[in-house]
Amino acid sequence: MSAPRRVVVTGMGSVSAGGIGGSAAVDRILAEAASPIRPVLAFDTAGWPSRLGAEVDDAALEGLLDPAAARRLSRICRLTVAGCRLAVEDSGVPPGPALGLVVGTEHGDFRSSEEFVTGYLKRGPSGLSPMIFPNTVMNSMAAVAAIEIGARGPSVTVNQATVAGDLAVARAAALVRDGRALAVVAGGVDEMLGQVYRRLSEMGVLSPAAGRGPEGCRPYEPDHNGVVLGEGATFLVLEDLESARARGAVIHAEIRSAAWGNLCVAPHTAPPRRRDPHSPALRALVSAAVAPSAVRTCYGSGNGDPALDDWELGLLAADRLPAPVSLTSRFGQHGGLGALRVAAAALDRARGTVPSATGLVVVHGLARGGCRTALLIDRAA
Amino acid sequence: MTRVVVSGLGVVSPYGTGAKTFWTGLANGTCAIRPLTAIDTEGFRSRIGAEVPADVLASLGPSRRRARADRLALAAAREALADADLSPTDRACAGLFVGAVGGGMFEAETWYWEETRTGRPSPRIGALRSILPSTHAETLSFRLGLCGPKETVVMACASGAASLALGLDLIRSGAAPLALCGGVDALTRVCFMGFNALRLLDLEPCRPFDRDRKGMSIGEAAAFVVLEEAAHCRERGGRVHAEFLGAGMTTDAHHVTSPEPNADGMVRAIEEALTAAGRAPGDIGYVNAHGTGTPQNDRVEALALARVFGPGRVLISSTKSLVGHTMAAAGSVEAVASVLTLQHGLVPPTANLRATDPDVPFDCVPETARAVELEAVLSNSFGFGGQNVSLVFGR
Repeated sequence: MSAPRRVVVTGMGSVSAGGIGGSAAVDRILAEAASPIRPVLAFDTAGWPSRLGAEVDDAALEGLLDPAAARRLSRICRLTVAGCRLAVEDSGVPPGPALGLVVGTEHGDFRSSEEFVTGYLKRGPSGLSPMIFPNTVMNSMAAVAAIEIGARGPSVTVNQATVAGDLAVARAAALVRDGRALAVVAGGVDEMLGQVYRRLSEMGVLSPAAGRGPEGCRPYEPDHNGVVLGEGATFLVLEDLESARARGAVIHAEIRSAAWGNLCVAPHTAPPRRRDPHSPALRALVSAAVAPSAVRTCYGSGNGDPALDDWELGLLAADRLPAPVSLTSRFGQHGGLGALRVAAAALDRARGTVPSATGLVVVHGLARGGCRTALLIDRAA
Repeated sequence: MTRVVVSGLGVVSPYGTGAKTFWTGLANGTCAIRPLTAIDTEGFRSRIGAEVPADVLASLGPSRRRARADRLALAAAREALADADLSPTDRACAGLFVGAVGGGMFEAETWYWEETRTGRPSPRIGALRSILPSTHAETLSFRLGLCGPKETVVMACASGAASLALGLDLIRSGAAPLALCGGVDALTRVCFMGFNALRLLDLEPCRPFDRDRKGMSIGEAAAFVVLEEAAHCRERGGRVHAEFLGAGMTTDAHHVTSPEPNADGMVRAIEEALTAAGRAPGDIGYVNAHGTGTPQNDRVEALALARVFGPGRVLISSTKSLVGHTMAAAGSVEAVASVLTLQHGLVPPTANLRATDPDVPFDCVPETARAVELEAVLSNSFGFGGQNVSLVFGR
């Protein structure tokens, strides 16, 4: 591998309840105040503890995919392909062996798994569809997206709760930095599915089950009482700085450093404030040779889960980083959100909305089970 | 460039627990593919596979409520850490890369079957807590005190190999001095039914590279290795099994389930691994092939090997003919097999190979292990989605 490279963001593509498009659309969507969270329409929530979600209107995908692909692909694969295509078109990055892909997801294609198994339970072995089976493997979204965008470098799918998109972007930054690819399309995707929604609702994961007050997504607020699910796909194009310059790409921001780590806690738990001796936020700052005081804005992964929100606030305070702002109340919790947070940070820096020329933005993520991520975003070099 | 060594090995395979048991099975050419007992195979074309025996599973410690895959992973990971003889301080800074696909699906299927068939809520709903592949990494990090960067890699049948490749990158980047890397998959009904539906399973134990091969045999396993910065290992007096020289990762971007017919993606992965390792094709004495036993995979892999090494210029064999295709674990199972092959100077055979396919212009070491002096070996793993990963290990 060659010497570490500088990593920049040269493209964005997003399909979320907030809207669809490349970097200009993402900028516009992020500037809107209204949240698209509303009662779920895709399935009947009657009798369940929760009813809200941030849904993608499938009709909005028309025109983004050719009709044959739309028929052939599962819904989550359609979301992924649309998000990746938008990002690649936005960036203009060429296909080929130097282009990689990283997809983060929490749930993958459960819809296909359910459909595959239901065929067997209804009709026995003859009810099994060989066409659906490949979709039950969680890398199916990356598989079809790699073909669509011509990504012939490394293609990695990471499975992670809450911060799948953050981890995917951090992983992609490492692939570029370490010389495994000149550019990587990276982000995350998840879709809402009735079976999953219902179980999470009944298990008390979704608002309002975890506390008193009305149903809603209120990260870091005193009355936060659970998660509201969203869905969609957001992808960024991360690219080697020199390569991006050489082809005259628009550079939105630089990822100065990316780090991720792990707090050793029991699976699915979010114990109250603990020290993190290996804080990825601090490691990211040290790696970029900047002090916490240089960070002006922090996007956090707070999603309304009371224990997780409080844990994240405690860890960020211990690292002397600014109080975080969350986008989850706008778009609902889903695997694409981490990439949307990085997009927001990159556009903040590009627009100069960060209040100091030297100010940096940290995109921070924390999940139950202890996965913690940090990306340090700066102005375009 | 930072040198990275393999300082610990751990395996739970259809032969039983432990790397020694695994090696004995491989060296003797014992085929562990038999009629399946863990899942109902009634009505399916193929009814065989390589499963971890029930008495071995029962011996894996007291936590019988844990998912089958978590139990396999914990046992293999514990062995690797014990083999490396790491202190709690070393463990606290260790990264963790887990290749996984099925997660806790074996238990979740039982729950789903029960609810769907009875129409009533099943008390087994707790199974859903470990359904996601990422649960393995959470369980391992918590139980084993691993506090470095943690990642769950889902790259189909190349997952286990990819976990080692990414662990290598992590150590070389300086983010951690060591990492526990490997893969795990337990048998699941979805996997068994899916490969049956695709008609990719042989009705008899698989025969990779054979002229009359009819498909693969599924299996289950967990295998982990401790990767460590060579200087860190030396300073603490750790044991070196092998040096991990380099890795290549590419994607075909051609078809979801079929490899690129001209083998370009595989060739790029192998060449990338050799370049990263600083080795020429002639330096490699043995290739632990992906070798599934499907007509298509073996033909294309042989083409890739012929393009890189030249026909007949390297020994190859398939571990899958002995322990089945262990899915997400396969890449790490075969990485361990490759390291042990180097250590022992003995190439495990390809079982059930009676007449080598003329399209496979290589000595595939049929039936009986062969003693060979080896300086470097290569391990291939390919998966759905056109995922290609190649690893190079040296003495």
